[in-house]
Amino acid sequence: MIVGIPKEIYPRERRVAATPETVAKLIKLGLDVIVQPGAGDNAGYDDGTYVTAGARIAPSAAVLFGSADLVLKVRPPEPAEADALKPGAVLVGFVWPAQNKPLLERLAARKATVLAMDAVPRITRAQRMDALSAMANIAGYRAVLEAANHFDRFLPGQITAAGRAKPAQVLVLGAGVAGLAAIAAARGLGAVVKAFDTRAAVREQVESLGASFVEFDFKEEGEGQGGYAKEMSAAYLAAEQALIAGHAAQSDLVISTALIPGKPAPQLLTADAIKAMRRGSVIVDMAAEQGGNCPLTERDQVVEKFGVTLIGYTDLPSHMARQASDLYAMTVYNLVELLMPKDKGFVLDLDDEVQRGALILKDGALMWPPPARPKPPAPASTTPAAQPTKGTSTAASAPSQPTKKKGIGSRIALAGVVALLAAAGLAGPPELLQHLTVFLLACVVGWHVIWNVAPALHTPLMSVTNAISGIILVGGMVVLSSGTGSGESGFTADALSAIAILLASINVAGGFLVTQRMLRMFRK
Amino acid sequence: MTLEFLGTLRGLSYLAASMLFILSLRGLSTQQTARGGNLLGMLGMGLAVLITGIVLVVTNLGLAADAGGGGPTATGGRAVGLLVAALIGGGALGALVASRVAMTSMPELVAMLHSFVGAAAVLVGIATTLQPGGDGAHGAAHLIEIFVGVFVGAVTFSGSVIAFTKLRGLVGSRPLMLPGRHALNASLVGASIVLAVLFVREPGPEALIYLLAMMGLALVLGVHLVMAIGGGDMPVVVSLLNSYSGWAAAAAGFMLSNDLLIVTGALVGSSGAILSTIMCRAMNRSIWNVVFGGFGAAPSGPKAVAGAVPAGVVHETSVTEVAELLLAARLVIIVPGYGMAVAQAQHAVKEISSFLTEKKIKVEYAIHPVAGRLPGHMNVLLAEANVSYEIVKEMEEINPEFPKTDVVMVIGANDIVNPSALDDPSSPIYGMPVLEVWKAARVVMLKRSMSAGYAGVDNPLAYRDNTLMLFGDARQSVVNLLTALRAQA
Repeated sequence: MIVGIPKEIYPRERRVAATPETVAKLIKLGLDVIVQPGAGDNAGYDDGTYVTAGARIAPSAAVLFGSADLVLKVRPPEPAEADALKPGAVLVGFVWPAQNKPLLERLAARKATVLAMDAVPRITRAQRMDALSAMANIAGYRAVLEAANHFDRFLPGQITAAGRAKPAQVLVLGAGVAGLAAIAAARGLGAVVKAFDTRAAVREQVESLGASFVEFDFKEEGEGQGGYAKEMSAAYLAAEQALIAGHAAQSDLVISTALIPGKPAPQLLTADAIKAMRRGSVIVDMAAEQGGNCPLTERDQVVEKFGVTLIGYTDLPSHMARQASDLYAMTVYNLVELLMPKDKGFVLDLDDEVQRGALILKDGALMWPPPARPKPPAPASTTPAAQPTKGTSTAASAPSQPTKKKGIGSRIALAGVVALLAAAGLAGPPELLQHLTVFLLACVVGWHVIWNVAPALHTPLMSVTNAISGIILVGGMVVLSSGTGSGESGFTADALSAIAILLASINVAGGFLVTQRMLRMFRK
Repeated sequence: MTLEFLGTLRGLSYLAASMLFILSLRGLSTQQTARGGNLLGMLGMGLAVLITGIVLVVTNLGLAADAGGGGPTATGGRAVGLLVAALIGGGALGALVASRVAMTSMPELVAMLHSFVGAAAVLVGIATTLQPGGDGAHGAAHLIEIFVGVFVGAVTFSGSVIAFTKLRGLVGSRPLMLPGRHALNASLVGASIVLAVLFVREPGPEALIYLLAMMGLALVLGVHLVMAIGGGDMPVVVSLLNSYSGWAAAAAGFMLSNDLLIVTGALVGSSGAILSTIMCRAMNRSIWNVVFGGFGAAPSGPKAVAGAVPAGVVHETSVTEVAELLLAARLVIIVPGYGMAVAQAQHAVKEISSFLTEKKIKVEYAIHPVAGRLPGHMNVLLAEANVSYEIVKEMEEINPEFPKTDVVMVIGANDIVNPSALDDPSSPIYGMPVLEVWKAARVVMLKRSMSAGYAGVDNPLAYRDNTLMLFGDARQSVVNLLTALRAQA
């Protein structure tokens, strides 16, 4: 099977769908890889590196498309590319089926099988193929750098001999993968970060990155299916805009990442909100491709409105083409690997949730959208690995209850023991009662003293108590001294107590000394 | 010096020794006071032995002013000689063992020392019975005291010996599950009670045979009880035996009417009981379940679970990659387990943590209460490797930190980091509090192979997407990792 890696021809696109590293891995899967000349030039990989990895260089794009059975791409194919596809070929890349109906028809005409990286379901098992998150991560990071680049002050606060610089205030709208990456990047640069999201569940994640969460108290839950935000009512939006305008006015940088799948981006930043912002502030509108979170944003442009710089780049990952290609190529490879079970060649498994989800066209037949899966019970269960959630923390606290019940059980047992001892005391000689009193008091004292011992000291505690229980040594001595030791049994008694003393003194010496040795090792 | 004066002096000294022991245990509550606590314990023991020794010498050699003179008797001289020989011999042996033992062998040493207390209690009990003249005076209560003392002592002795052999690896760590084992235990106890009745009914030298027969039964009981407990539950067993050894000493105190022994035995007994309770809570299991449950063998449970868990994708990694991860991290948490102790990797691990600290990367250690084979086992090993105890954290302290952590290194631990304990009700360890390492950005598991832990449960942590597996012997992996870190930095 021949895999083709074309050069991306979309304007300003600099990524490539396979790197020399993944090419080598594809060849290991038993695939034959051909690369269009210059495919990786913009991502920092020249043709030679691909050849070294084992690929062949196709003479031209036409030859590549004509001979490849599997084409790996980044952007959705341009009409010309779609038409050049070999009949029955497989295409893997971003497709955006909802926005690209005509493209699907063209591809269907080529009897193509199409798997969309953007349609890979967001489940734990598919995280290795989650190209959207990988790209969003890069975009969020880069957005902060772009903003910092257009900002005319420090990000971290500094106190210098020449005066004091306050830390920059950053507001992040939307705490998805891109938003979280932006928070981390801005925090890393020393800015003070606030983040806003309609989904209350992401608060924990925002705070875990060291940003504060902007509370939005409006009764309408924003959690949609599969961890995306959903669209809200007009009143809701107005309240949201007002809140954001207030926070934006105090912010130097705004990174807006709010998206609703399949819908235009929500207009979170109104023109009035921008007028109220400080001059010199910077807004990076990462939703520009979907119409922008701000009506004044111009797609792919940097413009200045009311003294505020508005950045509308839609190709942020291409600004870091090498990193983006490395990560994207890896997600593509992971999907291809899934499609190539060991020694079976290329097989589509329609029962596999990941493959079924990503499948758009099968031999030209439309397979999208996939049949609905049951709605996830909570966002937590869809991405447990990535998100520390409340679900698990309640689970963690649950087990404490049975232990409490057992505590009562052992208390009853203790009471039983006490009753038994009391009975023995009543029936026995007065001396016994006196000893029992001493015994029980000592138990109580021991119980209280020991609970305070730090867990780290449990081993030393054990060896000390061990040494102390060597007090039986005294018992041996008492027997030895009280004996009138005459006769055979007297001699045996003396001998036995001597052995007892011997054993107990091993305990005493060994226990104390080893404890001392251990404790000497504990240091601050 | 009169005998009366000596008696008063002895009473006061015993009181002082009891107080010193209590203060000694209290001293162990914190790291700062622990060494002082140990010294107080030594002082108490020294005082107790000294005063008892003086009494012994004075009475046996007839030195007391009111003893009517007459000088040393033949038997008195023998007693003093035996005492001196036993004290010096035992003390020297103990000191030798204490200075030689490796910190990783602490569990075995502790188990062995417990067996000595048990044996001593048995011997003292038998010696008391053998002593001519003393019997009739105390009556049935005294005989019962002797009987109980010997019983507890024998169980402690044989149980500790088995625990020692298990910890040493001389006997397999799998629990021995005899058919009808509960009935066996019950009949052993029942037979001992019958023998007790016989022993009390017919006092005299002939009754000794009942005592010895019961001792035999108790020895079997001790062996059987500990054989039925799995290797993973060893921390509980060791602390239980610790408790028994205390009760044995207390029982000896009853038979000798010696309050010092009673007090001290009770202190040790409660201490062991508390440690057992703490260990059981850490595993979310009751003490009955640990002692009689035969955990770790249940053939149906674990296998069914292992079958149900989809054998997911394991991400294997290399030392170079782990080194890169560590150098890029800001907060690293190391989770040591029994595997680290077995591989003696603690020194190499410490090297890594100091290296990272030098590079301004924060390193902390997370200790699960039942990590290792002895309560606090990991703390001792880390202390041996000179890891500051201030960065060694307990489970409750460290669990909230995992979400903020960049890399968690799990070294030779398995069940204590198993997420099934929280989210899989069908898992045998469900409900056990664990270290929630999977909340960190990355988890690196150093493991010998994909085999299950002591509980025999598969660990889904290995299949998580943020988990990387580094296979191999723990020490070798850690040493290689250190080399890789030095090469990259």
